[in-house]
Amino acid sequence: MKGKYHIVIQNNKLRYELDIRRNITIIRGDSATGKTKLIQLLEQAAALGESSGVDVFCERPCRTLGGKDWNLVLPNIHGQILFLDEENRFVKSQEFAAAVKGSDNYFVIVTRENLPNLPYSVEEIYGIHASGRYHDLKRTYNELYHIYSPEALSGKVEPEVVVVEDSNAG
Amino acid sequence: MLKIIFGDVENAVYHPPTYFDNRYEDEWITAPLSVAMIKDIDKSDVVSTHLIQSPVLGPISTKEISGGVKTLILMAFDQSGRIFNASACGDNCVKWIVEISREKDLTINLHHVMDFSSVQMFEAVMLNTGAVVHS
Repeated sequence: MKGKYHIVIQNNKLRYELDIRRNITIIRGDSATGKTKLIQLLEQAAALGESSGVDVFCERPCRTLGGKDWNLVLPNIHGQILFLDEENRFVKSQEFAAAVKGSDNYFVIVTRENLPNLPYSVEEIYGIHASGRYHDLKRTYNELYHIYSPEALSGKVEPEVVVVEDSNAG
Repeated sequence: MLKIIFGDVENAVYHPPTYFDNRYEDEWITAPLSVAMIKDIDKSDVVSTHLIQSPVLGPISTKEISGGVKTLILMAFDQSGRIFNASACGDNCVKWIVEISREKDLTINLHHVMDFSSVQMFEAVMLNTGAVVHS
């Protein structure tokens, strides 16, 4: 699975728009920005489909992954975008890193922890912010923003040490 | 006094929001400290023990407040002796962690480097090394 995927997830109060560019995307940031709500909407959509009342628009299936049997479920999923909420501490494990490496799925992981076993790009670490409401004032529109934005570096930078991605990254 | 322990630790709750959903006491929600934290972090108003008014979601149940605020409420009111994982809290919760630690001895668990720079007066003991850190 390669390329960029645009995802829209919405109900009648919330709308999320995400562009997922690489196989591992990290979402973190302040509390109360809607990270857990995003996962809950996807869980409901995956379980009940259209009858959940949640719309998910993406050219690839989107679903959540979690729980103690994740390692039994993951080998049977292909070509999908998988969302993992922060209660899944297995995302730090070497077993999960090996499973990701051998997987043809994309992973969107909600966590504030560093995940040294996983090769993800600093450019694929995002927060969620509400960028406004639609004209009907009923639905809040949420989108991703880069947490480590190059625009944040204003002025001349003279680093003493430069750390680069390792050869396996991305 | 705030005490911080990094990494996996015995007696810690890794995902406090789930623990909160199953263990919170009604009177915690309407305590002035909780009302203030819910207002500050979630921008929501406590209407009653079981009802919160959110500007985004409308009327919601107590179990729908943010994971960060759930963790803060546990830090403030839970008497079980458990240590709660503050990595469930965003940096916008930092001032409240420090505030709670001014009222009681508070030990928190961290799995990431939390940014305390928003708090002017801050002191904590790192239990992994015994070092004391200041703002």
